[in-house]
Amino acid sequence: MSPFRRLPFGDRWASTTASVVGMALLFVAVGMAMATLVAAVDGRDVVALGTATAVTGLIGLVLFHVAKPDSQDQAAVFSAVGTTWLVASLLGALPYLLAGTFAVAGRPWAIVLADSLFESISGFSCTGSTVFGGHNPIESQGPGILMYRQLTQWAGGMGIVVLVVMVLPSLRSSGLGLIDAEAPGMGVDRLAPRISTTAIWFWGIYAGFTMLVAVGLFGAGMGPFDAVAHALSTASTGGFSTKDASIGHWDSLSIEAVLIVAMLLGGANFTLHSRMLRRRRIGHHHDPEFRGYLAMIAMGTLLVTLLLVDDGMGLGRSLRSAIFNVVTLGTSSGFGNATGEGSAGDFTSWSSGPQMVLLLFLVFGGCTGSTAGGVKVMRLRVGLSHAYRTLRSFRRPRAILLVRQGRNTVPEHLVERIAGFMVVYGLLVVVGTMVVAALGTDLITAAGGVIGSLGNMGPALGDAGPTASFADAYSTPARMALAVLMLIGRLEIFPMLLMLVAPYRAVDGATRGMRIRLRRGRHR
Amino acid sequence: MNRPVRSELRPRSGGGAPWPSWAAATAWSIAAALGATFLLAVTAGLVDLLGDGDDTTALLVVGGAAGLMAAVIAVWVRPPDRIRDADVLCAFAASLVLFIGTVTGLFLLVDPATSLVDALFRAGTSATTTALEANPVDPADHAVRFLVGGAQWLGGIGALLLAVAVLPFFGAGREFADRSRRGGRRPMAPDPATAVRHLFVVHGLASAFTLIGFLLVGVAPLDAVLLAMATASTGGLVSSPDLESAGAQWVAVIGMAIAGTSLVVLWRLGVGRARSLLRSAELQAYLCLLIVGSILFLLWTDGSGVDGIRRAAFTVTAAVTTTGFPSTPGGNWAPAAPVLLLGLVSIGPMTGSVGGGFQILRHRILARVATRELLRQLHPRAVIPARLGGRIAAEDTLARVVVTQFLFVSVLFLTAAVVASAGLELATALGAAVHAISTAGPVRTLDGTLVDVGSWPGGVRLALLPAMVVGRLSVYPAIVALGAGTTLIRDRVRFRRRLTTSLGRTTGGRRPSPGTAR
Repeated sequence: MSPFRRLPFGDRWASTTASVVGMALLFVAVGMAMATLVAAVDGRDVVALGTATAVTGLIGLVLFHVAKPDSQDQAAVFSAVGTTWLVASLLGALPYLLAGTFAVAGRPWAIVLADSLFESISGFSCTGSTVFGGHNPIESQGPGILMYRQLTQWAGGMGIVVLVVMVLPSLRSSGLGLIDAEAPGMGVDRLAPRISTTAIWFWGIYAGFTMLVAVGLFGAGMGPFDAVAHALSTASTGGFSTKDASIGHWDSLSIEAVLIVAMLLGGANFTLHSRMLRRRRIGHHHDPEFRGYLAMIAMGTLLVTLLLVDDGMGLGRSLRSAIFNVVTLGTSSGFGNATGEGSAGDFTSWSSGPQMVLLLFLVFGGCTGSTAGGVKVMRLRVGLSHAYRTLRSFRRPRAILLVRQGRNTVPEHLVERIAGFMVVYGLLVVVGTMVVAALGTDLITAAGGVIGSLGNMGPALGDAGPTASFADAYSTPARMALAVLMLIGRLEIFPMLLMLVAPYRAVDGATRGMRIRLRRGRHR
Repeated sequence: MNRPVRSELRPRSGGGAPWPSWAAATAWSIAAALGATFLLAVTAGLVDLLGDGDDTTALLVVGGAAGLMAAVIAVWVRPPDRIRDADVLCAFAASLVLFIGTVTGLFLLVDPATSLVDALFRAGTSATTTALEANPVDPADHAVRFLVGGAQWLGGIGALLLAVAVLPFFGAGREFADRSRRGGRRPMAPDPATAVRHLFVVHGLASAFTLIGFLLVGVAPLDAVLLAMATASTGGLVSSPDLESAGAQWVAVIGMAIAGTSLVVLWRLGVGRARSLLRSAELQAYLCLLIVGSILFLLWTDGSGVDGIRRAAFTVTAAVTTTGFPSTPGGNWAPAAPVLLLGLVSIGPMTGSVGGGFQILRHRILARVATRELLRQLHPRAVIPARLGGRIAAEDTLARVVVTQFLFVSVLFLTAAVVASAGLELATALGAAVHAISTAGPVRTLDGTLVDVGSWPGGVRLALLPAMVVGRLSVYPAIVALGAGTTLIRDRVRFRRRLTTSLGRTTGGRRPSPGTAR
């Protein structure tokens, strides 16, 4: 492997990372182009979006043309995935910068740049936290920028790399590794013998699901543009809305009901949806993870409802607020149904008990193989089983105790992997909270923001609730720290932390000969 | 098979069979709790003579009775051939809970006007060295003050016994126990009995050193004893105006730092093996926490001058060692300052010390596990041992530390959820839960003001007690004890179900023959 020695015009540059990044940027450019077409209807931001499309497309085309996939080892895979997401998120800020979306009220350029990056990363990572707010309402933006926002979440929901694997023939041999690296959960289920077919299936189900949600929302009373926009961010469990008040803008029970069902499906394993389509019968209830996921949502809803009723809220309003907020946070969607600050749906105005329950749901997340974030239900179940097994081993030191999920035994290497993941997750939460608090945030807002960002939730607690803007709740450096955590969380930690390994190894390999010669010289 | 206990506990003539492991462990735990109560009550009774002496008789009588019962049980028990690890841990948990119960009784005895909830909370915070003071003690009431101080000191001894003489032999982390005699070394803990002996020597000397320090700076004798007890045990529960003085605070800082140091480190200092301590990563991390934490706290509270440094050192050392001496906030607290203290409290001091929290060695183990997991992403088949202090940590140890972290966080969130539902504000609920499970206290608001725990409803205070007990027992012994209890209940329920089933069969139900296919 010789990634940095060859010139781009001549023999092709052997680099898996560059090849994947190039193709991914082409897809991002396609999304920008679609937003440009939408902007053309209104006439606003057409030039900005068009320019961003051209720049991103050109960079992607050059990289894709001059690079070819090379090393398929794990380091290269992680480097490819991490770099793809980082570069896509950085270039994804171009439309906001060129359109001057956040250049309001004479804000310094550094903050405008930071806000653009934050919004882009929040979009691609499907977090849904926003720096739009009272000083810069979402509704003041043109339809092109609004659609672009939603499209960033839709692209990030199923995964940019999955998209790349679908179309790049030379990546197919390492496609499973790339897909697994993008979402390192319990291992990717092959829906078909060929990994490219698997990737196509995933995207096909995803696109179909999105269309269904759009139709449902339109039928429930949303306008066509809003229905399509919200369908994009619902299928991806992202949570971006075209309104400052999010779903609270409509204050409609039917819209909320459609979204609740859609979010629950978005938070379920897409393999289950695929099996349902192929076998033409519903089999979700056979999956222990899905059952656990629904049970958690149900218990959380019941608990929050009881606590809200105890606080004096009416039963109907309590149930509606509880179920919507528990589902939206439990699936890491992040929509809000608050009609205003202090309203029934504004969970930051609830008492401590129900907020504490929501804080737990900020951690849990949805099912593996879904578009949801968080620790994931399967990891939680395996973690609990592992803890129970370790405690039982005290009383039965010679017993061979296994970790089971349903009828299946979880292999030991997977149990260790999950235990290691949860350790790293916990350490990131603690360190992240300390860093964000040190940058001027109070404890609850810092902890809520860090947990919400790592889990790609969206709203947090404290000053960053569903009616608040992250621009007001966090300082600019704190927002950047949260943005990094969003990327780490979206890729489930390891790819972002390991993406530096491949370049390090390249430099290490290139300098190894020199170091050996120096060592030999010293020994003479 | 569950046999009735009563027949086994009846002493048999001419020797008799040894008791089952669980029965012997339970009996010893009761004896230990009663023995500690005897010590506490008798000493408090004698101390009360320095005041009005109206509680002396009652305390001596009750203490004597407790001591007698402890002696009878200790003699009655026939040790089993082998005692199971799980039974030892369960016994320890039971002993602490029982001790809290007996101390509650002592508080009610000396102050009948106290409510049961207040007495139980005070006993719980004292025995678990948590320092969440709800109702200040009358400075003239020597008996109550000594009960509080003595309960803390005994609770600290119990924590040290668990850390040094129980867990390394009956729990996890055996490879880190100081047992090697290589090169003519004198190990701290070659076996449990020697560990206990050395523990009392080292801890006793540390307590005496702290006491002398307080006396030298002019603290009154009784107050010096109580302060020394609260410092050496990292209990922090003492009401003494002398603690406001600069000299007393500096002595407290040194005393707390010693209390938060691993007993093995103190032992090696005493036997002249100090040079090897310089390489101890855990000791370096501990000192780093104290120094860097103090500097950051000074910066984030606008502190300055010698007073500012003293206040920062006092507050940070109290947090790191989970002593929790109260101190007035002073200065302007940045939002990061209370978060810093909360973080330091949850990290805790060195492992093998009397402090609470998650402790530094466990954090290092978690960091190793995290690093190993990152490397395994690149090399899934690699065998990567986790090394700490030159020793390879057993996989068993790693797994138990990871599970301990999981349980620590679970108990923390559960406690926070319960107290939040009971009415505390969210930040205070989280802070109270962290302080309870780390056995630290006191809880501060975001501007550094001490929260008035006495204003919390009784239900909230009682909800914190289980977290304190779990934290003092280093989490998993308490969970093992809980698990043993639920298993016992489950077995008995099954026994009843079997009984019901067999009754149903004898009254006409047909039992399938062995060869019948289902």
